[in-house]
Amino acid sequence: MTDPSELAKLYGPKELKAVKAEQQQCAVRFTPCGKFLVGGGYDGLVRRWDASGDEFAELPPLSGHGGWVSGLAFHAEGSRLYSADSWGRLRAWSYADAAPQPLWETADAHNGWIHALAVSPDGKLLATCGMDRLVRIWDAATGGKLFELAGHAFDVLAVSFHPDGKSLASGDLAGIVKHWDVAAGNQVREFDARQLYLSNRLQDVGGVRSMAFDETGKMLGCGGARPKVGGNVQGVPLAVLFDWTTGMATHALEFGKDSDVYLCDFYFDARGFIVAVTSGNPGAGKLLMQEFDAKEPFFSIAKPNCHAVSRHPSGLRLAVTTVNANSNGNGRLKAADGAEEYPGNWSPIVIFDMPAPADA
Amino acid sequence: MKSNPLCKPWEHRLSRRRLLGAGAAAIGLGSLVRPAMAEELKKRQKQVLFIWIDGGISQLESWDPKPGTQFGGPFRAISTSVPGIQVSELLPKTARQMHHLALVRSLCTKDNSHSAGVARIQRGDPKNRGVTYPFFGSAVAKLLGAGESGLPPYVWVKPGSGGFIYADAGFLGPKYGALAFGDGKPPENLLRSPAVSAEDDAFRNEFRRRADRRYAQRRRGGAVEANSFVYDVAQELMKREALFDESQYSPRDVERYGSHELGRHMLKARKLLEAGVTFVKVNTYGWDTHGDNFVGHANLVPKFDQAFAAVIEDLAAGGLLDHVLVIAISEFGRTPRVNGHVGRDHWPEAWSAAMAGCGVKKGIAVGGTNDKGTWVAGEEFDIGHMFHTWFRALGVDPRQTEYENNGQPLPIAHEDCRAVEEVLA
Repeated sequence: MTDPSELAKLYGPKELKAVKAEQQQCAVRFTPCGKFLVGGGYDGLVRRWDASGDEFAELPPLSGHGGWVSGLAFHAEGSRLYSADSWGRLRAWSYADAAPQPLWETADAHNGWIHALAVSPDGKLLATCGMDRLVRIWDAATGGKLFELAGHAFDVLAVSFHPDGKSLASGDLAGIVKHWDVAAGNQVREFDARQLYLSNRLQDVGGVRSMAFDETGKMLGCGGARPKVGGNVQGVPLAVLFDWTTGMATHALEFGKDSDVYLCDFYFDARGFIVAVTSGNPGAGKLLMQEFDAKEPFFSIAKPNCHAVSRHPSGLRLAVTTVNANSNGNGRLKAADGAEEYPGNWSPIVIFDMPAPADA
Repeated sequence: MKSNPLCKPWEHRLSRRRLLGAGAAAIGLGSLVRPAMAEELKKRQKQVLFIWIDGGISQLESWDPKPGTQFGGPFRAISTSVPGIQVSELLPKTARQMHHLALVRSLCTKDNSHSAGVARIQRGDPKNRGVTYPFFGSAVAKLLGAGESGLPPYVWVKPGSGGFIYADAGFLGPKYGALAFGDGKPPENLLRSPAVSAEDDAFRNEFRRRADRRYAQRRRGGAVEANSFVYDVAQELMKREALFDESQYSPRDVERYGSHELGRHMLKARKLLEAGVTFVKVNTYGWDTHGDNFVGHANLVPKFDQAFAAVIEDLAAGGLLDHVLVIAISEFGRTPRVNGHVGRDHWPEAWSAAMAGCGVKKGIAVGGTNDKGTWVAGEEFDIGHMFHTWFRALGVDPRQTEYENNGQPLPIAHEDCRAVEEVLA
């Protein structure tokens, strides 16, 4: 382990600006070409911003989804964007077009909420998972369903391809992670991440809310919380790291206190640390950077309710999806100007500049 | 505790009802029920299944979905067995029972805190007269009585521990409290120990009754009456132990209602209604989804859906729905806007309740909210309106029936409210 203050100097990001998304966003991602920032919103729109400079001007959105746009994934070839929504729709787009139309659409990809999707490393396959407890594999070129993977007993919340493209991992509400053989279409083994789950009163709480492999494929990370109570869910944000070869959990990294709740999104930085965001009680959220064997993050900045983090392909920028401050409150609340209109919430997308490798 | 029988001058404004109550008392009817009504109630005992969703349930993820709107959330709406009425996709089984149900989608109540809301809703939020009003279960126990089952009139099947919840009764006195079966189980040590013979048991009970009577002669009756009542109830329950033997329940029923807590408790409630209990309350905790509302409701609502649809289907199939009033309600709804914790907060401004059965129209949705689900569109109904509606559905006219509290006449429902006529059959 290195001196945390040195690590913070080397890798710690600096806030550039906040880009306003008029509606709350499930997640915002940089495209593989780095020229666009794309967000999936609570209003069924896929929003785009020009990310080629510092302005982040908003471009025409992609419409046609229903409910929430709950998943976004890319493949560099053909500038493909795949988007999924909470009404079970799956779409493919050429995201760089001025006015993109869907390349294909599957209206009933799942029965209800698609929680996550992932693109295989070669770009040929698409994996989706949802509240129907299924994982489905699609031909990324046509949108045709290839096969489905059944066996989860709870809603499937996260899915990720192994870097070798041969294996797929999926994680559910109960903290069960399944390893699937993609070619054979069957389950290989299960990983136990049940510390991310709590059965509380009538509610199943927690689950695998985020999932990622490291670049080498030796480590699988599952993010969520160590839930303490349901309802107003409370619990310490947690990342459970597995040795992919042995299937054993090697780390359980905690990222805060009970009110910080979910580790909503993260990625492994090849330089030996994890970059994560948390969202808990209204207003509680952080962007964090922590080495695997450290007890504390070497970098932490508070931002209200951070739901996603995306690294620009250059490695020089981060986009963190947050929620406006004062987003909660019981009962009647009128707009600040006293109008009858009931105010909604929105998502500031906080852009950070990262130190260039030459500086590091 | 010393009660104050004195009332204030302004509490005598409703002299017409007071006179009606006094008239009933004069002809020896205990002041509560007019003769024709008493005969009618005797003919067919009305019952209530009161399902309390504590926390409470989001109207947008249940009875009043607004898919594709700013605050609509991630879920779709689905059609029901009644053309034109849609509910959340999280209620597929209930949707198939919609032809039995009556929804009120225009509730607008006062409190947005649990501490005030739970009691105010279950007490009907009457005007303040310096007394503690009874919860609806205690009110029904008083107004309709125990019937001929011998079982207690107000039973509460609840998670956690049980006991005798006398506080629900308010000024009616502890006898009208709830007998709570914790986790649906009978009171501990209910059955007579084999070490005590039936003769000894009878002797002990007779001794207790005599002691109670003697004790009561020089004291106010409420507590003593309640004490005796509990023993009498226990004796009746001892004869009904089969009610609690879940191994005797049909495996198909267990599967249909769900093996989860709410499913087991709802099935127990049906058994208690079939056995003749006047008022059965079933409650479920954990619906206060300030955080993670949508994943939460995605696994909470289907459990409610399973148990609720099963009990509606069974009560209808068995003919019980003709005289059982079913109510599913919370202390408030949940905010349209989604907070940063992906939760919804407390929202008494525009929310919904579901009803079915006795005295209630079938397959209707009354009232509504605007297109965003933020405010009631049209007339707002407070909980007082619902109390008027429920009493009317049970054959009790709240305009002509009053409580009598140590000589003080008290309306049974808020006198500024009225029944929602559109709901009543």
